[in-house]
Amino acid sequence: MLKIDKNKCNACGLCETSCAFVAIAVEDDVAQVNDLCTLCGACVNVCPQNALAIKRQKVSIEELSHYNGVFIWAEYESRGETHAPKKVAYEILAQGRKLADQLGEQLSAIVLGDERLVDIDNLCHHGADRVLCCRHDLLGRYTSDGFTNVIAAVIAKEKPSIVLYGATPNGRDLAPRVAARMRLGLTADCTELGIDEHRQLVQTRPAFGGNIMATIISPYTRPQTATVRPNVFAAAEADPTRPVNIEEVPVTLTKANIRTRLIEEILLDSEEERIEEAKIIVSAGRGCQDPVTLDTVRELARKLGGVLAGSRAIVELGWIPHSLQVGQSGTTVGPELYMAIGISGAVQHVVGMSSSKKIIAINKDPNAPIFKIAELGIVGDALVILPKLIDEIERIKVRLH
Amino acid sequence: MKIVVCVKQVPEITDVNVNPETGTLIREGVTSILNPFCEYALDHAARLNSAYNETEVIAITMGPPQAKSALYRCLELGADRAVLVSDRKFAGADTWATALTLSAAIRQAVPDFNLIMLGKQAIDGDTAQVGPELAEILNLPQIMYGAEMHLTPNKKRIRVKQETENGYKILEARLPVVVSASKGELIRRVPSFQDVLTARTKDLRVIAAADLDLDESELGLQGSYTQVVNVFPPAQKHGGTKLEGLEPEVAARKIAAYLREEKFI
Amino acid sequence: MHEISTQLVPFADFNKIRRVEGFDRISAEYPTYLTDESKLSPEPFDYLFFPMDEAELAAILKQMSAQKIKVTIAGARTGLVGGCVPRKGALVSLENLDRVKSITWDHKAEEWRIQCQCALDLRSLNDQIVSKNLPDVANCGDRQALDALKRFKEDPAGYFYPPDPTEMSASIGGTVATNASGARTYRYGPTRDWVRGIRVMLSNGEILSIPRGKYFASPGGEFIVFDSKGNKLSVKLPTYRMPYTKNTAGFFAAPRMDLIDLFIGSEGCLGVITEVTAALLKRDEKISLIQFLSSDEQAIELVDTLRNNERVQLDFLEFYSGNALDLLQQRQVQDPKSVDMPLIPEHAGAALFFEFSFDAMADSLDYGLLEEAINSCGASISDSWAAYENRELQRLKDFRHILPETINAIIAERKKQYPKLHKLGTDLAVPDERLRDMWRIYYDALETADLEWVAFGHIGNNHIHINIMPRNESELQSGLELYEQFAAKAVEFGGTVSAEHGIGKMKIKFLKLMYSSDHLKEMQALKLALDPSSMLNPGNIFCG
Repeated sequence: MLKIDKNKCNACGLCETSCAFVAIAVEDDVAQVNDLCTLCGACVNVCPQNALAIKRQKVSIEELSHYNGVFIWAEYESRGETHAPKKVAYEILAQGRKLADQLGEQLSAIVLGDERLVDIDNLCHHGADRVLCCRHDLLGRYTSDGFTNVIAAVIAKEKPSIVLYGATPNGRDLAPRVAARMRLGLTADCTELGIDEHRQLVQTRPAFGGNIMATIISPYTRPQTATVRPNVFAAAEADPTRPVNIEEVPVTLTKANIRTRLIEEILLDSEEERIEEAKIIVSAGRGCQDPVTLDTVRELARKLGGVLAGSRAIVELGWIPHSLQVGQSGTTVGPELYMAIGISGAVQHVVGMSSSKKIIAINKDPNAPIFKIAELGIVGDALVILPKLIDEIERIKVRLH
Repeated sequence: MKIVVCVKQVPEITDVNVNPETGTLIREGVTSILNPFCEYALDHAARLNSAYNETEVIAITMGPPQAKSALYRCLELGADRAVLVSDRKFAGADTWATALTLSAAIRQAVPDFNLIMLGKQAIDGDTAQVGPELAEILNLPQIMYGAEMHLTPNKKRIRVKQETENGYKILEARLPVVVSASKGELIRRVPSFQDVLTARTKDLRVIAAADLDLDESELGLQGSYTQVVNVFPPAQKHGGTKLEGLEPEVAARKIAAYLREEKFI
Repeated sequence: MHEISTQLVPFADFNKIRRVEGFDRISAEYPTYLTDESKLSPEPFDYLFFPMDEAELAAILKQMSAQKIKVTIAGARTGLVGGCVPRKGALVSLENLDRVKSITWDHKAEEWRIQCQCALDLRSLNDQIVSKNLPDVANCGDRQALDALKRFKEDPAGYFYPPDPTEMSASIGGTVATNASGARTYRYGPTRDWVRGIRVMLSNGEILSIPRGKYFASPGGEFIVFDSKGNKLSVKLPTYRMPYTKNTAGFFAAPRMDLIDLFIGSEGCLGVITEVTAALLKRDEKISLIQFLSSDEQAIELVDTLRNNERVQLDFLEFYSGNALDLLQQRQVQDPKSVDMPLIPEHAGAALFFEFSFDAMADSLDYGLLEEAINSCGASISDSWAAYENRELQRLKDFRHILPETINAIIAERKKQYPKLHKLGTDLAVPDERLRDMWRIYYDALETADLEWVAFGHIGNNHIHINIMPRNESELQSGLELYEQFAAKAVEFGGTVSAEHGIGKMKIKFLKLMYSSDHLKEMQALKLALDPSSMLNPGNIFCG
């Protein structure tokens, strides 16, 4: 319940302007709240008179203190004949390590699989104090039921204070099921994690399509659980001197526990990637002048592991198919990186890519509107710059590996 | 056969803008829509409906009174009847409290359901948590990210083509099951004018907290295990640096350095 | 009164104005400025100017006049008849004059009016009005303007600007210069009906500030303009009668006409529109329908029925011919993702697209009259697509866009083999009672000539666009000949050769079908009166 202290309220209306849900307004010279209130607390923060408060239940610190340790689920994937940790496992291991250090608690990695598991010691080298290894035939492939049963059992026994999963499709399938079984708070797709003065996990994540960030806590339940967005946190460097501590955990599972049956699995070759799903897009516009330059743009896209797209102008010229058109009458994209090459940035185009996280633009015209939204803008001739850029990228890649 | 489709009314995200000063969402001009993934779920349900006789599709949502318009859309798009689960006491519910409330509502309104469908996620919360939580509360198997689905000939099991990171899996489970729908190859349906008119004549009922077999402490904010403590805008994206007059070689290096810094290479 | 004096604008230093010189540089670095949507090629021109305000524009006109260089004016370059395609000389892009000045409530007319510079595009204009978020006004610092804005925001109703040309990225100045129309013209009239005031700069760099309702032609059909030097320009109006259909061919001329109407639709020949004051309309919730029909004939029958039924109020009434639907169906099959709509029903032989008021939250709905009208023609409302939410309305709008885009793509493809090819699109309109006759003429002639064609457009105004897609140069030729025949027939029926696109550079010979040579001379004299050295927009409406 949002409590409004009528004596303190001076009807300044700041709460009204801060409310995203049209839930509070000044009427009859005092703030009044209606049903639309989601108790998010934005107005409480804004009120200069401290007239607003949200009563939140407190659970005893003593009960919470029985829970100790940071756990991460190290998700594995198939690599030919073996199963190895996914990249995200190392990312959340690094985060888990930071949190464990801040709390002065132990970091454990949980691994589920069958006899094909490898690189378990690597998890210790990347920060885990121990690995709880759960091996069973029925854990050879991911299943909601199998993995939920095992993880829930491990958590119930070990009583960690925090459990992290990678927000992969499997992670997002598994974490809520575990949370529901054990009645735990779960935050999805976190991009930031921290510990506050009450030793609580502070979880930050995007909402409303990335338009807003929300900070969330799970005050009453333990462990606090969260799925973590991949490709946000960096993995740590491996330290081979770290001690390896692997515990084999006995697993009880029967076929009857697992209620979904795999009929077939089909792996697709890197097919023509849909631009809506591409993380990196290199987009060509009329300023590319001709189809030859377009080939260079295509090469750049390949080099970056991204896809080619383009503006309506070049689609109409027949250089690329309509499926690659970005803009009002094409597709709306929101990749991590959007490179606009020879694109002026007319409103019909921008409306289809403005939610891209990072935008680079190359254009000859210093007044092209694209520069208003590009984080990095280069005024210049793409024809000449692109080949040099491709070379430079190649040079850097070679240095890194 | 009874198919329950759980849906959500969400703001039209592309309309949403953040006020750079207060950091909160600008509410003017933002319309409410039926979550697009819920529409895909309805599409799948409607297809199953038309493939089999004596099938009913029931749309259900937990929301404020204006969520009625989202239910009208469900009724236009193939639902046979709709249930609005609405009460002040549900306010502040996180995904857990929502899933719990929905499970109670389903038990009450469609106790003999065979299949529960939802969209893979809501475009405002983006959590994708309600589906699995609901499945767990009702003790049902779950299959998420379904792009295509059909029943086996004896109508006792469902087969779902699940989208994975690098392809897809065909999974099968015995009904009842909870399935979440992704876009797949679907194009969102468009109702006919007849559908629009008929939708307003179909059964739409409202369930309140008192109708549910749940304790008040399990509802809304009280019943939530997570709490939002702050809401703020992400780092603003303005035009950043614009560099003019560089030699192509230098320009190329600047771009490459940026790409490296932002971890694109 | 029929006399008006010009006003001066502040001085601006011509040398400080942003420009690009030399055709080679312009075509290499600013290729999009060479033409408009007609894709007509320019005659090489050597100057491209970007004035920031009226003062700079005046400085440009004065300088160019002194150097006897002709000036072509460009807004958003979305025109279809080459209006902003230069014929040598200079091109002036008005793109920087894009601010909203104010929003005010007119007590007498009881309407909100928005005052803005000419280059503001219609989409941005509508976005700002619909969201009631007008940053230019909010930041202007003017007390009166801020108060009016506050009252606008407090007004519980929603508003919009009715004229809706398909290309909403058009600039408002451009739409006024061409008297643009869109689908909603059926109910709300063309741009002309919504313009309450303009500022127009003459070729001498001086401004006429013209509110509607103040200056009227003398009984003898004349206006007098006094410039700053005391010169008296006598502007004699042409004596022809205009067709009573939707029309953008030739200058507006009528007895005792309002001076503002002279400039609306004058396609840049008489002056440069720098500012527009436009009226807004209250927004109602609407529903759009695409009604599928079994044939073109059934569509026309339904149009008649709907038009004759006064109690059915439609905002617009648009048409897609059977062969247009075929083209869309082919596109859907080839590239389903590019058409974000369900499959067009197999049996659909034509479609009508219309819009009317609708309350989504109403508990019961009664559209008996509309249903009856549709049933009476043998069609059914279960054979339709309906949309009322914003995003669904946008979807239908995007769907409408796909047809002209598909046609453009087809032509672009064919141009690779036959560079001289271009799309042939008619813009003819006839009076209501001639709709059936005109359709028969189109259909029979095109089928006999065995050309590839589609038809779509504002059937509510009897203004159907026939688009011929020639497959080779001989078909282009036959198409052009047919087009002339059609134009002559439309004029014979009391209609117009250009209902919304204007004449520009590409339809000049059609103008000759509509007006006698004496009347054309009257138009030319009118231009010379206001632009004595014929500096502005050479090639528009008149040759040379």
